[in-house]
Amino acid sequence: MSSVPRAATRQKTETKTRPETSLAPTWNVIVHDDPVTLMNYVTKVLMQVFGYAQDKAHRLMLEVHHSGRSVVWTGAREQAEVYAQKLQAHHLLTSLEPVAN
Amino acid sequence: MWVARADAGYLFGGLTKTAVETLKGVPMLIESADARVRRRLLPETFDGAEEEAQWRRHAVPELERLFLSRAQLVRRDLAGLRQLKDVDVWVLLIPDSHVNAWTSSLNAARLALYELAELTPELMDREGLDQAAPKQREALLRIHMLAEIQCVLLGDVEVDGEGEWSPDDFALD
Repeated sequence: MSSVPRAATRQKTETKTRPETSLAPTWNVIVHDDPVTLMNYVTKVLMQVFGYAQDKAHRLMLEVHHSGRSVVWTGAREQAEVYAQKLQAHHLLTSLEPVAN
Repeated sequence: MWVARADAGYLFGGLTKTAVETLKGVPMLIESADARVRRRLLPETFDGAEEEAQWRRHAVPELERLFLSRAQLVRRDLAGLRQLKDVDVWVLLIPDSHVNAWTSSLNAARLALYELAELTPELMDREGLDQAAPKQREALLRIHMLAEIQCVLLGDVEVDGEGEWSPDDFALD
């Protein structure tokens, strides 16, 4: 068992991880409009992939439809890639872009 | 075309020769090597060349494997198509456990048809059918027919006869 006091350990960990977290760039997962994919299908895929409530998924789908694209999720690159792959698995036209600072 | 709930899935009936031909084309469209289809089903994901190359190396092969496995599953269900005796009408059972694979595969096939027929958003509109060239019109009709099945599988269409029918209820060849 370590003899280092717990508080000291916690403090050391916080000092080490915070700067990395704050510097990590975030990425947008973007769904683009296409003239073929059914609107309800887009809503259902967004609910399935992100676990969004129907209202939110429907709102995002309408944004895709009317604006041509919608940022459906923002976060760490690794997770953004997982989501993009899941959306492309359902054939939603998806791309990733870093969030502009 | 009609649809009913069977014990283990959706039963599509009244399928004409053209409908069957369109359905049989679904796995082939997913597997198409045509560059336009590949580009749409496996789209460019990053702006940066290095990131895109990395995506192509890691994510794309997994997606390709998934599409192929779905195509095989669809093909297996299509092998169960049954023709009604003495008429050019078929019945297809899509098991509940295959609904997700079918829904995605139908979407892929519709996207592929759109690319191959060089359709435009305008032609996809209600009035598009009148303005389309014959080949495009054929693709549009197939796209809309596959959408009908997709709508049923998405639960957008009320289906009668919960558990009432089975493929064995029909006089088949």
